[in-house]
Amino acid sequence: MKKTLALFTALTLASAVMAVEVGKPAPDFTGTDITGKTVKLSDYKGKIVVIESYNSDCPYCHNQYATGATQDLQKELAAKGVVWLMVNSVNPKNFSHRSPGQAQKEWADLKIAATAWIDDSSGAIGHLYEMKTTPHTFVVDKDGTLVYDGAMDNKPDPSHDPRTARNYVREAVNDLLAGKPVEVSQTKPYGCAVHYAD
Amino acid sequence: MQIWHLISVRLVGIIFSICFCLAISSRAQTVPASFGGPLVAHHTQAKLLLSADTAKPGDTILVGVDLKMEPGWHTYWKNPGEAGQATEIKWELPPGVTAGAIEWPLPEKLPPAEVTTYGYENEVMLLVPLTLETNLSAGTLNLAAKVSWLECKEVCIPAGADVQAALVVGSETKTSADAALIESWEKKVPFTLTGSATDHAWWEAPASGDTRTLVIGHLTPKPTNTITFDFIKYDSADFFPEASEHYEIQGPTEITSAFASDIRLRKVVKKFDGDWPTQILGVLVLQHGNWRNGNEARLTVADEPPADAGASEKLFAPKPPAPALPLPSPILWQMLLYAFIGGLILNIMPCVLPVIALKILGFVGEARSDPGRVRKLGLIYALGVLVSFLALAEIVIGVKSAGHHAGWGMQFGNPVFIVCLITLVTLVALNLFGVFEVVPGGRALNAAGELASKPGAGGAFFNGVLATALATPCTAPFLSIALGFAFSQPPATIVLIFLTVGLGLSAPYVVLSWNPAWLKLLPKPGAWMEKFKIAMGFPMLATVVWLFSVASGSYGKNVLWLGVFLVIVAFAAWIYGEFVQRGRKHRIVATIITLMVLAGGYVFALEKELDWREAMPMADTTGSLKESVNGIDWQRWSPEAVAQARAEGHPVIVDFTADWCLTCQVNKKTSIEIPSVRKKLKEINAVALLGDYTHFPDSITSELNRYNRAGVPLVLVYPKKPDAEPIVLPEVLTPGIVLDALDRAVQ
Repeated sequence: MKKTLALFTALTLASAVMAVEVGKPAPDFTGTDITGKTVKLSDYKGKIVVIESYNSDCPYCHNQYATGATQDLQKELAAKGVVWLMVNSVNPKNFSHRSPGQAQKEWADLKIAATAWIDDSSGAIGHLYEMKTTPHTFVVDKDGTLVYDGAMDNKPDPSHDPRTARNYVREAVNDLLAGKPVEVSQTKPYGCAVHYAD
Repeated sequence: MQIWHLISVRLVGIIFSICFCLAISSRAQTVPASFGGPLVAHHTQAKLLLSADTAKPGDTILVGVDLKMEPGWHTYWKNPGEAGQATEIKWELPPGVTAGAIEWPLPEKLPPAEVTTYGYENEVMLLVPLTLETNLSAGTLNLAAKVSWLECKEVCIPAGADVQAALVVGSETKTSADAALIESWEKKVPFTLTGSATDHAWWEAPASGDTRTLVIGHLTPKPTNTITFDFIKYDSADFFPEASEHYEIQGPTEITSAFASDIRLRKVVKKFDGDWPTQILGVLVLQHGNWRNGNEARLTVADEPPADAGASEKLFAPKPPAPALPLPSPILWQMLLYAFIGGLILNIMPCVLPVIALKILGFVGEARSDPGRVRKLGLIYALGVLVSFLALAEIVIGVKSAGHHAGWGMQFGNPVFIVCLITLVTLVALNLFGVFEVVPGGRALNAAGELASKPGAGGAFFNGVLATALATPCTAPFLSIALGFAFSQPPATIVLIFLTVGLGLSAPYVVLSWNPAWLKLLPKPGAWMEKFKIAMGFPMLATVVWLFSVASGSYGKNVLWLGVFLVIVAFAAWIYGEFVQRGRKHRIVATIITLMVLAGGYVFALEKELDWREAMPMADTTGSLKESVNGIDWQRWSPEAVAQARAEGHPVIVDFTADWCLTCQVNKKTSIEIPSVRKKLKEINAVALLGDYTHFPDSITSELNRYNRAGVPLVLVYPKKPDAEPIVLPEVLTPGIVLDALDRAVQ
């Protein structure tokens, strides 16, 4: 009971103070990518940023990448000047954890076209953004405001063809580029639970 | 004596384990009704079971898709929560058969805490009603379905299986061998609660951003009288919502009130789009001990609390203390019923059995006397039992308020109590043998005036006290549940439950004494009574031997001096009976000699040689506690030993026992330390751990409390699967129960 209360309070506080909330500034973070480079969200001010929680062992993520759909989207958006940050929060003890070497190999094998893959095995960024599932996506506008929080697309199914689904990330970015308000700004993320450290 | 114990225990065991056995054996069935057998798909096995082998057109039959997960793996509920995916069933049915919606058994909230999911571990059966059209022609139908699910452990795997089963359409409905199993799962499906309590939901405050706090209440309208009955608390309450695309009721639950009549939960709702929901669906989950229940809730969300739910400050204000004599809630009623039945059964448990001899004798002696007097004696006996139980309740409350663990039978861990009791029982045996007489009308009852002045009253009261004293090392079916509940309750409830056990223990005699006509069925008093009385002294002697073996745990080899003391007591009793009570001359001298013998025996044997108030320190033996060369290789129990054995992948059997616990000893002889169980333990490579409760170690008391038990016996079987809950065996065992549990442990 006490524990629940504490957790509840913590969560309420977390959402009240740090607030990953659509329409509010996206919390800043600093991480290290799989090549050892430092990545800081606020460095990308002036650009649209997509943040994606990632674990390719999760069938939902795997489906997005095995079909090539996400890589195509990454290329498509990169051409429009959009930054794509992958965040892997799987804890080091988990079977699905990737060492930098393994991650670089996976990056090459899957032909990933993101800006960076951030190693978040401590779970700091995942918890900051309250990432629930892999995949769970966020879109940040040029001013650093969070404009989308939720699922990659509208098909919570690990065997669909993502190209035929309604991709909320693409829609949000295109709405921003067209100078329109983002039509769908929040959805329920689907997928596997993020395997955080205890 | 031993044989009598065994017979009585076996009888009770058989009666009370029939239901249990049925439940287990139906669970353990692995023979599928379907052809094709179980299909292994990744880490979950799926099969289709039908509740009927034959059905007639127009019938609706319940079928179950049974999913068996490997240890550590889980599948999801209809609302998987913040991750995961609900299991899907795509039916491929012949024309004329239509499938209804899945009925989902109550799921668990699965770890980790950050991401709340709802699902099932080990096994679940998803139930679906299939309706046959009325114009269906006779023949055999093939019912098939594609089942797909997401199974997760450290990783998630989408998996599926094709399942099928054959159903014969005929002129009558015949249930199948799986019907009972399907029915047992149907009981786990949340149902719509009927009763005075109603479910409500209201917003606690306006929205802050896209989140808003919701209060869910399960409230009983306040009764018109001033008695409140909300002193019973649930251990846990929760709300499992159904999924929605437009909003999400988040995982964490804050319980602001868990009183049975006034359950309030706080949940945070996060909105994705659209308006705030005005109706939410889900399951209200209530838990008390092992009892866990899901109630289907369809809640209209109000902007304010319901009118009779009390002001909002009441939500956080501490509850007023419960009145001294509260009106019990349904749970307390149930516990009181258990306490009463448990008390009744205590009469035939081995500990109390010897006292029965005394009582039978009492009744025969009184059968022809004045009915009013017989009733009085019955009541006095009950009074003796109740006063003793009151004393026990006071001791328990005292021990608890001193911050110690309390347990049923704990006084048997105290050697001083054992010595007093063994002396008392020895005297009872000698009395039955006729060595000396008890002059009734003890001073203890002087206050009761007239009652006490009549012979027999003191004896009846004494019988009540003795029955209670001897009853405490036993727990009986039902009794342990009630006591386990009582020990965690406020003092008023402890007293109430203890007194109810006392009522149960004394009820048969009160009822008998109220119907003198029944007493006439007993044989006529006569010379046989004297012989019967002497014969009944032997069960008492057996009790002495048992207590002696209990005492040896405290005194080691020195227990010899306790035996010497008992012989001296017996000698003193003989002098007293022969030369004081029946003697003609020198009665004063004889009295002095009696006292001198007693005093000498006490000083020499108990004080000097035995040092009876100081128990020997426990020898902390390590290694095997094996009782014979071929016996089970018992190791000493500790929570660490359990954890280690489970980490190594062994199933574990734990026997919490005590030297003074006769039920435990009988269980061991009949159902644990037997060839078939030994063989099974070797086969499944199980680790056997023995928790010795003879001296009442705190570590075991807290373990017993975890299982809502107040005393031993408690036998647990931990499945091989490292995170599965242990199987709790009933108090009275049969070999079948133990073997079944061991089989389930390795499934």
